[in-house]
Amino acid sequence: MFIIQTIILGLCLGFVYALMATGLTLIFGVMRIVNLAHPIFILVGAFVAYYLFVLYGIDPIIAIPLCAAVTALLGAITYKLVFEKDAGAQTYSEMTVLLTFGTAMVLDGTLSYFFKNTQRITSPPYATDAIFLGELFLPTAQLYSGLISVGLIIALGLFLKFSKLGIAIRATSLSRVNAELVGIDVKFVCLFSFILGCALAGAAGSLVSFVFSFFPAKHWEWIAILMSLVVLGGMGSILGVVISAAILTVIASLVGAFIAPAWSTLVFFVALFLMLLIKPHGMFGKYLE
Amino acid sequence: MDSRKSIPIITLIILIFFPLIQFFPSVFGDQNYVLHLMLYAFYYIVMTSSWNIIGGYGGFISVGHNAFLCIGAYIAGYYSIMWGVSPFYLILLAGIGAGIFGFFVGLITLRVKGPSFIISSIALIMILRIVFDRWELVGGASGITLPYNSLSVEFSKFPHYYGFLILAIITIYMNWYVRHSKFGLALRAISHDEIRSAVAGINVKYIKVTAFVLSTFFIGCAGAIWADYLTYVRPNIFLIILIAANVVLMVILGGMGTVAGPIVGTIIFIAFNELILSYLGATELNLLFTGLLLVVTLLYFPNGIVGTLRNKGKLPRFLDWG
Repeated sequence: MFIIQTIILGLCLGFVYALMATGLTLIFGVMRIVNLAHPIFILVGAFVAYYLFVLYGIDPIIAIPLCAAVTALLGAITYKLVFEKDAGAQTYSEMTVLLTFGTAMVLDGTLSYFFKNTQRITSPPYATDAIFLGELFLPTAQLYSGLISVGLIIALGLFLKFSKLGIAIRATSLSRVNAELVGIDVKFVCLFSFILGCALAGAAGSLVSFVFSFFPAKHWEWIAILMSLVVLGGMGSILGVVISAAILTVIASLVGAFIAPAWSTLVFFVALFLMLLIKPHGMFGKYLE
Repeated sequence: MDSRKSIPIITLIILIFFPLIQFFPSVFGDQNYVLHLMLYAFYYIVMTSSWNIIGGYGGFISVGHNAFLCIGAYIAGYYSIMWGVSPFYLILLAGIGAGIFGFFVGLITLRVKGPSFIISSIALIMILRIVFDRWELVGGASGITLPYNSLSVEFSKFPHYYGFLILAIITIYMNWYVRHSKFGLALRAISHDEIRSAVAGINVKYIKVTAFVLSTFFIGCAGAIWADYLTYVRPNIFLIILIAANVVLMVILGGMGTVAGPIVGTIIFIAFNELILSYLGATELNLLFTGLLLVVTLLYFPNGIVGTLRNKGKLPRFLDWG
């Protein structure tokens, strides 16, 4: 029973991680930018949710669209200021990664200057509640956040699969040149998918605000975890990210439950190194330079 | 003698004799802080120059190179307590230990290029942070505390000053050597296209891993001296991403893949940092300005100071080392 419960909790957390990483993998797929600033956007979303809850009593789940809107706006500004010049490049470049690294440092510095590095967590009524199913004990915070994450990921998947803009995004991520040839406005698609990715980050941030306690410098740890998931999923593949997030988080929570909680994050990094050793280009992805 | 040789030699002579002003406090006053800044600059020059070997020439951008600094510092700290000797005797051991660790890390992470490599370098810091925070043998999160050296306060920085100066000269020479040797040529070919380099008969794996080991060796050596200077080795001092970010920023500011670039970038960055610290003080703002400087440099001078000046043909001759 204990094992089943750990697995279910791990899965819930895994879907939250998957939602955190989908925006990242979407941006990489379309723009070939490894956005190291993504986790700080998640944190911005978490801060918005926190202050909406503390000041106005708005539930973090209801605040999801607001958080997403704020990070989308921030994403649009960042894109215009920093990435527009590089968005035209067909291939990945080291310099853009460092640009996102610098952006992450700027946002981190701003957040920690204004809000200080203290632990915060939103505490809506369900955050400390739980549902009992027979002998299973399911904390509602994890359960709700996991279910909402799955819902958002499925919505994103449907959008990419069936809407015209979604098809354009997939086409651009397959081949930018050919997408341009068939008349897709690649620049707009890039801008749109960057903003969509940032909005997903904000939505994830709102969920994160009641699942994890957070502080501005936390995003460095998230960068490493999310990036491991993205690399394991095969850069740019959303399904791959979801699968690798689910598997790894379950393993991590089993490690946390049976060995020691402190070692559980190590699972992600060890998995990354193992994968580089065995299959350097991702479990589910194609070769991408 | 032309300025290309004379200016570096005169600078070197001044640097060698500079600490002697500490013997005349009545004339110059106490300049311990200036000494600190200078040895801090040498320390970062060691790191930037050795980072430049794999990052600048090889094109493998690592944002986790302080992992090797930490390994070197821990080896020196641990054995100096165990054997009761100063970490200065263990510099080579620390370097070799970091080099061996770098060899195995390089074998794994250098298989991939680009984003995966950068991510694996961040993950490396995170792994070491988790391990060292909980490894009781080396003191866990509180780390290792080393004794102060027995010199009086005015002269206590001398060993570190000269240690870092010598190490910096060796690293700069190594950087120059790699830039002008066949080895460096192969490395730069690899940074452009690995497959074509392999076709041209370059042993790609050997060159990559050797360059990585070389760069980690010097960083490990620097870690030993830095451990003795700080008198403690602690995960939350050595394993923070800001150190690696500073190194990357300094090299980019000066110019990647040039010999003089890391030196120029380090000096300018440290001066800039001092200005911010003295006017604003707050450390969070420091992170903000570091990031801002990185973004602005990358957007407007991607070739760095040395690279931009060279492209315009305005590089002073004494900085033109290739």
